[in-house]
This record gives sequence, structure tokens and C-alpha cells, in this order.
Amino acid sequence: MNSRLPEMLHCLNSTTSENCEMSVLERQRSRLKQQEQLTHHHPPIPYFNGNDHLAYSGFHGDQALSDLVLNGGAMKPDPGVEHDDFRRFMNYGTGTTDFQMSCALPRTVSCPPYVAAASVDSAAGKESCKKRKAHNLKIAAEEKKMKGCAEEESKITEQNSNSKSTTTTISTSANKNNKGPSANAKKASDAPKTDYIHVRARRGQATDSHSLAERVRREKISERMKYLQDLVPGCNKVTGKAGMLDEIINYVQSLQRQVEFLSMKLAAINPRLDFDIENYILKEMFPACPPAMEPDHSHLQFNTSVEEVSGSGLEMVVGPMDATLRRTISAPITVQQSFLDSSSLNQIQQVTWEDELRNLYSMEYQQGRSTPFISQQITGFLEANHVKLEM
Amino acid sequence: MQKSSSSALMVKQEFFTKWKKGLQIYSAFNKEMTIMERKRAIKLSADVAIASTRSATTQWSRAVVADVSTSAAGAARIAAEEILGRKLTERRKALASKKIVRRRRKAAARGVVRSSAAAVAKKRVRNRTRVLKRLIPGRKKLDEISLIKETLDYIASLQVQVDVMRHIAAAAETMHQQQISF
Repeated sequence: MNSRLPEMLHCLNSTTSENCEMSVLERQRSRLKQQEQLTHHHPPIPYFNGNDHLAYSGFHGDQALSDLVLNGGAMKPDPGVEHDDFRRFMNYGTGTTDFQMSCALPRTVSCPPYVAAASVDSAAGKESCKKRKAHNLKIAAEEKKMKGCAEEESKITEQNSNSKSTTTTISTSANKNNKGPSANAKKASDAPKTDYIHVRARRGQATDSHSLAERVRREKISERMKYLQDLVPGCNKVTGKAGMLDEIINYVQSLQRQVEFLSMKLAAINPRLDFDIENYILKEMFPACPPAMEPDHSHLQFNTSVEEVSGSGLEMVVGPMDATLRRTISAPITVQQSFLDSSSLNQIQQVTWEDELRNLYSMEYQQGRSTPFISQQITGFLEANHVKLEM
Repeated sequence: MQKSSSSALMVKQEFFTKWKKGLQIYSAFNKEMTIMERKRAIKLSADVAIASTRSATTQWSRAVVADVSTSAAGAARIAAEEILGRKLTERRKALASKKIVRRRRKAAARGVVRSSAAAVAKKRVRNRTRVLKRLIPGRKKLDEISLIKETLDYIASLQVQVDVMRHIAAAAETMHQQQISF
């Protein structure tokens, strides 16, 4: 058992290079040794089979472990007001994660406590050393309590290692399981560690199941708000739930209005409701697709893929088209360029979308078309249609 | 990034094909439509198509389909069914909304006047969550956590929808121009 530890630490060394973490690892390592010594006195428990080490060294890979370790240091916010929470969790950073990772993390249920303390998705390296120092202090405090709590915790781990289910059920069941033993383990000033799997009770905070459950809930919320921040443009500048919700509301409304507008526009342009020709053009823009991924991931990356598709469309459109169409394709290219600009979508909130389309039209018509009289500003596309018909 | 763009493209293509399917049905039904009818057809097909790309895994998509099934008639219904690939069942509007109203009234009655900053902030957040809830289809059954998840999904799908529609509109525009100028 102990021989595996240096392996794992080796792996961690290779992946992480910050100094702060090393101290954490060392402490955790010493704690693990302590734990082993303690629990060797107790009747054998599945906890100490190869399960756990397998679970986090082989199974889920180094990255999961290093992430978990990082997040072990991440749970140390200072006691504060709720909006501080939010900002704190914002600082974690999502880095490379997607939902899959955050689902993978809770699978390490059967891990010993210090590893499994993560429910927030992994941060690249955004933890401040302050948090880790606080964490180290806590670990020292916990080491003293370990001896008292080991027995109860081993029972809990036994229960937990038997159940392999999703995050929520585990955390709630862990909360419920900890209600009993945590009451015994609770001390006045120190921060006892009651929940085994996901939540660590903060220093000086209540540890009853209600507040723990609530904290889990709040973490989930802030985690998701983080994703929303990435998705909604312009959200980064605002902090706090209210402001972000405001941005989100505006964005959703603008998107819905755009859909309305575009459907109106399409109805106006196309008297016959068939989009085959456009389909042909677009098919050139969409390259052949490789095998499917889960749609859950994609909505994280939709925003960037918008620009990508437009970008790829620029290159691919020109190729297969013949000369006569090339003149017209140049217009969609400018359309896409303006679309590209606006698809960063910082401007949409300031500029109304009618203005935007006005820009689109004026850019198109500057392409040297034989429609000089349309180049004046068009206030409505219906008017544009009338003008075209008059040609 | 390659993977993400390809999956996004797949969703876009799926949306597009379904949307076209719906539109074909509409045009099969009704050769001559007014502009408003066309607009409604386009919008409905687009909405059902984008909702069906989620294949009823999310609340909002189910709500969109439910709305369509309660309020659509004739061509719209058949188009929706075709897109979804299944029959639409008539659904009665749930009585859940009454419960929500009752809950809110109770909370208001219980209200204690708190003018602290935190309370004000909380109230603001709550108001805005309510507004957001109203925006997203499939409203009242959502608690805060799932609301945010639904919002994420909904925003992503809307982006797909807007993106495809925009490209089509731009292409249609230029095609039309081309036809006329020749």
C-alpha cells in the first residue's frame, strides 16, 4: 500500500508544478499514513482494499487525482456573506473541464476523504496559495481529530464504497449518514470534517446536514453560473448573481427576438418556403462531420463554434462555386464577416439588431452590384422587397 | 476544438434538416400563403426542430412540444409530428400554476421588512430569476438549479437556431438578388 504512494505522488509531480501543492501532498501523504496506522487496529474494511487506490490512481487517471488535490485546497473560503461565496467560486475557473469531468469526479466516491473533497470542477491553477495555507492549517487540526473520528469515518466509507451512484444521491446520502456520527465528532471552534464525499465543513461553520446540503446546492448553482458566464457574452464584466441574471435575461430576449425577426425576413424573401438553393450553398460550408459527440458538451462550445463555422465558411465557399456565383458569394462573405464581428455579441446589447441588419445590407450593396438605388439605408426589409420588385 | 465544432455542426445540420422537413410539409399543404402565415410556419418549424434536437431531455424542449401540441392545428400539427417523428398527444394545461401562486402569496404574507443589503440583493436576484423563468419555455416546474441548467441548454440551442437562420437568410438574400439582377 505504501509503495503505491510514491508512484502516485510521482504522477502528481509530473502534472503539477506548483510549490504550494507539494506541501499539501506531503501533508496528505502523512495523513494517509496516519490513517492507515489507525485503521489497522480496526477490523478489516473494504476501504483498505486496493479499491480506492485503484480508483484514483489507475481508474480515473492522474488528472482526476491532481484535480481533486487541487480542489482539496479549493474549499477554503473565508466565512463570509453569500455574494462572496459566489465570487469565490467564480475564481476557481473551469479551465479545460466539461460536464464529463465534473461527472467523473464524483465517481471517486470510495476514495479517502482528503482526495474526495472535490465537487467543484477542477481548476487549472487558479487556487491562491492563501487558500491552501488555510487548508494546511485545517488539515493539521483535522489530524488531531482523525484519531477520534477514524472509527466513524471508516464506517461511513464502508457504506459509501458500496454505493456507486450519481453525485446528488451520494452527497445527500453522505449527508444523512453523517448526521449521526458528525454530531459526536463536532467540536466547538475547529472545523470538523463531516461530509466525506463532496463537502468539507468550513472553519467555524455549522456542520449540520442542513447547511451542508445547502452549501452543496450553492456550489452547484455557482458552478453552473460559471458555465453561463462562458456562454453569455459580456457576462465576465459583471459579478454577482443579479447582474449576471440581468445579462442572461437580455441575451435570451435578444436571441428570441432575432429568431422572430429572421423568420419574418425569410418569409419575406422566399415566396415559396423552399430553401434548397441556400441549402446547397450551406452544405459547402458545413464540412463532413465525424462521429457524434454528446450534445451536452456542445453547448459549452457553441459560442466559439459559431465563429469557427463562419470562419470555415469563408474558406470553403469560394472553392466549388463557379464564376457567376462567385460575385454573389462575396456578399455572404461580408455578411459572415459582419456576423463574425457581431457574433462576439458584445455589440448586440448596445446596437439593436435592426441597426445591425442595416449594416449588413449596406455592406452587401457595396459589393459593386448593379443595384445602386438600394444602397440607401433600408429601414425595413419589406421596403427592400418592394424596391426590388420595382426593378 | 475540432470535436466541439463538429458536434455543433451536427446539431446545426440536424436542426436544418428537420426544419426543412417541416417547411416542406407546410408548402405541400398550402401553396399560397401570406407573409404572416409563412413567418409563422418558419418559426414553428424552427422551434420544433430545435426542440427536437434535444430529444425531450430538457424541460424547455418538452414544453415547446407541449405548447405546439395544445395550440397547433392542421398543417402545423402535422409538420410538428413529422419533425418529431411521433404523434402529438393532447395535453391539458397543468394545475401546477395554481400551486405556485398560492405559495407566493403565503410568502408575501409572511414577509418581514428587512432592509439590509443582503436582503435587497436577494430580492433582486429572486425577481430576476422569476423573469428568466418566464422567458424560458416550460416555466413553472423549475427550481433554481435546474433553471440554470435549462437556461444553459436553451441559450445554446437558440444560438444554433439563430446561427443557421442567419446564414440561410443571408444566402437567400443574395440568391434572390442574383435572380433579380439577372
